[in-house]
Amino acid sequence: MIVADNLHKAFDTRTGRIQAVANVGFRAGDGQITGLLGPNGAGKTTTMRMLYTLMTPDQGSISVDGIDAAGNPVEVRRHLGVLPDARGVYKRLTARENIAYFGELHGLSAECIRERIEVLSHALDMGDILDRQTDGFSQGQRTKTAIARALVHDPRNVILDERCVILSSHIMQEVGALCDHIVIIAKGTVMAAGSADELRAQAGEANLEDAFVKLIGSEEGLHA
Amino acid sequence: MSMMSTLMTVMRKELRDLSRDRRTLLLTLLFGPLLYPVLLLGMGKLAESRVRTQIEEPLQIPTIGAENAPNLVRFLAAQGLNAAPAPKDLAEAIRSQDIDVALRISGDFGKDWAEGKPALVEVIKDSTRRAAEVPSARLEAALATYNGQVGALRLMARGIDAQVARPLDVARQDLASAEAKRGMILSMLLPVLLTLTSFIGGAYLVMDATAGERERQSLEPLLATPGSRSAIVSGKIAAACVVGFVSLLLTLVAFKVSAQIAPGNIGRQFNMNVGSMLQMLLVMLPMLLIGTSLLTFLSAAAKSMKEAQSHMTWLMLLPMLPGYALVAYPLKSEMWQYAVPFLSQNQMLLKVIRHETITPTVWAIYLGASLGLAAVLWFAAVRRYHNERLAISG
Repeated sequence: MIVADNLHKAFDTRTGRIQAVANVGFRAGDGQITGLLGPNGAGKTTTMRMLYTLMTPDQGSISVDGIDAAGNPVEVRRHLGVLPDARGVYKRLTARENIAYFGELHGLSAECIRERIEVLSHALDMGDILDRQTDGFSQGQRTKTAIARALVHDPRNVILDERCVILSSHIMQEVGALCDHIVIIAKGTVMAAGSADELRAQAGEANLEDAFVKLIGSEEGLHA
Repeated sequence: MSMMSTLMTVMRKELRDLSRDRRTLLLTLLFGPLLYPVLLLGMGKLAESRVRTQIEEPLQIPTIGAENAPNLVRFLAAQGLNAAPAPKDLAEAIRSQDIDVALRISGDFGKDWAEGKPALVEVIKDSTRRAAEVPSARLEAALATYNGQVGALRLMARGIDAQVARPLDVARQDLASAEAKRGMILSMLLPVLLTLTSFIGGAYLVMDATAGERERQSLEPLLATPGSRSAIVSGKIAAACVVGFVSLLLTLVAFKVSAQIAPGNIGRQFNMNVGSMLQMLLVMLPMLLIGTSLLTFLSAAAKSMKEAQSHMTWLMLLPMLPGYALVAYPLKSEMWQYAVPFLSQNQMLLKVIRHETITPTVWAIYLGASLGLAAVLWFAAVRRYHNERLAISG
């Protein structure tokens, strides 16, 4: 379980200080899929980077499976599988070596890594690409490698940063069907949270796309 | 997971990554070992053959007014310095390097000679031209000999012992050791080459593993693993040090092998014993650490390989600075020099090449100062890896 409370984060840029995240808080329960949805630049990625301790919040706290991220970031990272938007794989290594490298960094034994690669390769159907250098991989094959790499230590929590463009209500429906809990973020802060049904009810709209637009208060960038 | 095992894991991965890039690996490892011995042996050979031909072979000396002093011209010819007709514009010919050295015999030479007055001969040369050194030295030595002989004869003709006119008997005793003399060419080039090899030997790996990793967007997932950032960056530095060390070792071995193959004097000049090679390795070790840590510090902040590579221009210059500085301002060996980066490597290597004893104090100062600097730079690189903006590629 991940609990984020009152997160704040600002960056100094050449044009001045930008408040990327202001008072974001949510709870991602065990066995649930929690989706962070919001327009471009809403602060989703910054929030997630704070979750996997790449960045330290200016204010607020995060706990993962009851471990405080500020106090024990290494242990928090051990409990997380992270698939950031930037998910480059090492081109000159094979898929297996890519996965094993992260397994070693997680402190897994060689035996354990071998078993996990078997399991993941089977689940992701990557048996035929496992021992090829990733240089010539297709986008999909690279993504599979990155997913296997993120899951090598069998984490209790998985953080996925998927910056796909939501332009149709079709994808919005998929989001609604996929996520048990949706947190809508805009301008660095939480606008609404709940299940798809709860959000539709809260906005008084029949479809999730309209509810989303209403809840973020503008039509700009229907991107999640 | 301990720091050490993270470090080793990262180091192994970076070395494996580099080993798959055959062309880069070969270029990194073999460029120095193959090129430097050829460079040094070739230059040694050239220098030797130039000196030999100029010392032994008869030279043509363009002479103005040769008819004024036939005896002198005959004497010079006996020394292998044959008078040749001078071109019209002698100054221009010397400036354009058609002529190394020329001789002008004054029109009054015969008259002054007959009257027993000093007769004027002028040696004309451009003293900044290295090609003129040996010919003009030969010409001046021959003139001095002639001067002495004729002077002695004149005194004898007047019934005076020629010794009287030589109150001083100046003799020279060269205390340079045989090794120091042999190592002249070596001492000019080897320190620069070795320092350069160890300073930037691991450059490609460092830039690829830091700026390159950032550019290829694999740094963020890496930093999301439990491995500590200090251990990760240290593993990268360690991998670059391994590459630099191997390259350095191969360079020294290549010198040893080529010195044994090369014939005669040249081979002897470059022949280092194993003890010297080990000392050189010890001298170069801190430089490996300094170079890779500095490069890591610089390229960790670079957004791309291209940006990281732009640092190479000024970094390449650093190891050459002491060499240039010492040409302009030769220094006596003093303790403080062993604490100044690049200068100290230069001085230490010179001592090894000249087979001088290096006292424990000098070793202590050298290793203390250079390892201290390496530690500071390493710490700076680690600090930079803790910067949270580092992982963000865009």
